[in-house]
Amino acid sequence: MDKLDSRNKRKTKTTKSRVIEILLYLIVIIVLINIFLPLFFTILSMFKDKKEIFSLDFHIFPHQWTTDNFARLFYLQYTTIGVNFFQSFGMTLLVATISMVLSLFINSIAGYAFARLNFPFKKIIWVIVISTMFIPGITILLTSISVVSSLGMLNTILVLIVPGLANAYNIFFFKQFYLGFPKDYDEAARVDGCNSIEIFFKIFVPNSLTPMVIMGAGTFIGYYNSYLWPTLTIDKAHSQYTQIMTLINSLFQDINTVGYGAVLAASFISLIPAIVVFIIVQRFIKEGISLTGVK
Amino acid sequence: MKKFSILPKNIVKEEKVSGYLLIAPAVILLTIFVIVPLIMAIYRSFFYFESGPNEAIFAGFSNYIKIFKNQNFVKSLLNVCIMTLFIVILQVIGAFLFANILVRIKNRFGIFARTIIYLPYLFSGIVVGCIFTLLTYYNGGVINGILGWMDIEPIAFTYSKFWAYISIIVPTIWIGSGYTTLIFYSGLINIPKDYYEASEIDGANFWKQMWYIVLPCLKNYFVLIIVTLVTANLQMFEIPMLMTNGQPLNSTMTPVLYLIHARANGNVSQSEIIASSIVIMIFIGALNAIVFSLSNRKKKGE
Repeated sequence: MDKLDSRNKRKTKTTKSRVIEILLYLIVIIVLINIFLPLFFTILSMFKDKKEIFSLDFHIFPHQWTTDNFARLFYLQYTTIGVNFFQSFGMTLLVATISMVLSLFINSIAGYAFARLNFPFKKIIWVIVISTMFIPGITILLTSISVVSSLGMLNTILVLIVPGLANAYNIFFFKQFYLGFPKDYDEAARVDGCNSIEIFFKIFVPNSLTPMVIMGAGTFIGYYNSYLWPTLTIDKAHSQYTQIMTLINSLFQDINTVGYGAVLAASFISLIPAIVVFIIVQRFIKEGISLTGVK
Repeated sequence: MKKFSILPKNIVKEEKVSGYLLIAPAVILLTIFVIVPLIMAIYRSFFYFESGPNEAIFAGFSNYIKIFKNQNFVKSLLNVCIMTLFIVILQVIGAFLFANILVRIKNRFGIFARTIIYLPYLFSGIVVGCIFTLLTYYNGGVINGILGWMDIEPIAFTYSKFWAYISIIVPTIWIGSGYTTLIFYSGLINIPKDYYEASEIDGANFWKQMWYIVLPCLKNYFVLIIVTLVTANLQMFEIPMLMTNGQPLNSTMTPVLYLIHARANGNVSQSEIIASSIVIMIFIGALNAIVFSLSNRKKKGE
């Protein structure tokens, strides 16, 4: 009797934990569906005909699959902007890539210097650098435009790249990473007669794949997704520099002429670089979060 | 300073030169594009420039007084506070619970889920706005289309205050909650297993473990996440711009969106816009200071 009782008890316990487990899986699946659902509808709707997309008779799958929306993006020399979608796409990728490389260089050397080298006023400079992290973009938006305009950068590719290159958060991240490097590394190199800059490029750079990938991805996406700054600093006469988010927003504002299908097609194509970055970066995310210094 | 004396003098000198050389690009760029604009902004907020940019007339605090009398701006501050409050509460609680679920799923499916939830974080507000508008559009949008199948009246997302808020809060959470979950997740897996084992010996159940182990261990994670979310969401404008553009009756207008509109329309002077943007900065700083001090006070009580 006793034996049976205990077996029954164990059985109920396992069924209870089973139920909980299934429930947990169910929640995860629902969350994942919610992540995919908007993308799912986007993908289906961008193959719908212009009229079908907002017809009152709603159906999930297109009646007639069409690639018109993509063709329109190809041929549309978008009038109020004066630039083709794919030109703008290419220019944005170019700007984001150049900015990523320069930004990684500038911020990593600064992070290294703050982590590993001793120089006078280091602490004060560090406090000033870090405090720039807490200044909202909107606060300095208008005066930054005055600054770049007095530097003659307005409506050039420089205005898209240069102002965002140095970033306190990235410097902080690199500093955190280089603080964790073993001291023996640079001491051994010192004995070999390397100076600080040689040590950085010969020993630190080859060992900083993780922060380079994480910060590179973040910088790339930041530039690629930026809307307000490129919109305000590039005018219509210099439309060859139009960035993709500016273009998508003006497509969206002009939705009745271009059609929602084209807007969705443009949106979806513009997500591709983000998805590529996501695939590259996903292996590094966990390590990256532990580097952000939350503890 | 003791370390200094161990090193040969030439190395100390070399470090000095290299150090300045290496920080120079970053420091120069930050000075030109952040610090100088900030000083200019503070300066300009105290002046009138009505008669041209070269003729500054000292205005004292009158620009600041004007913006606090500007009902649209004050209303936009209030709106963004309400939206931020909902977004932060929902996102923090949701992400924390979801991270706790993910910790318990250790197979490949769990790894897959942990990877995928990060994806929307990389999407821009503009694109997400375009995508979610497809769902909330009045005529033939996905939500109203499906409601139509069930003969339910369509929802006018930009005409009702409640639905306008929903149509901003949901996409914002959709973008950010995966990343927040991952931060909580990394915090959860960093809690030493001994803590749980010791508490099990003491007879602590799941809820007691939550209260006495998990929450105290993750306190700093909560503070960091709340500060980041508050800072980011008080500046939000892309999602509101695309989803509702401030409708209905400016009830979803955010301060940044208001300033962008005001700059485009030219109905508010530059000095006032700058003064408002400084108000936003002080506001964000103050809120973050409150969060930090609250979290520190708890520490003292322990």
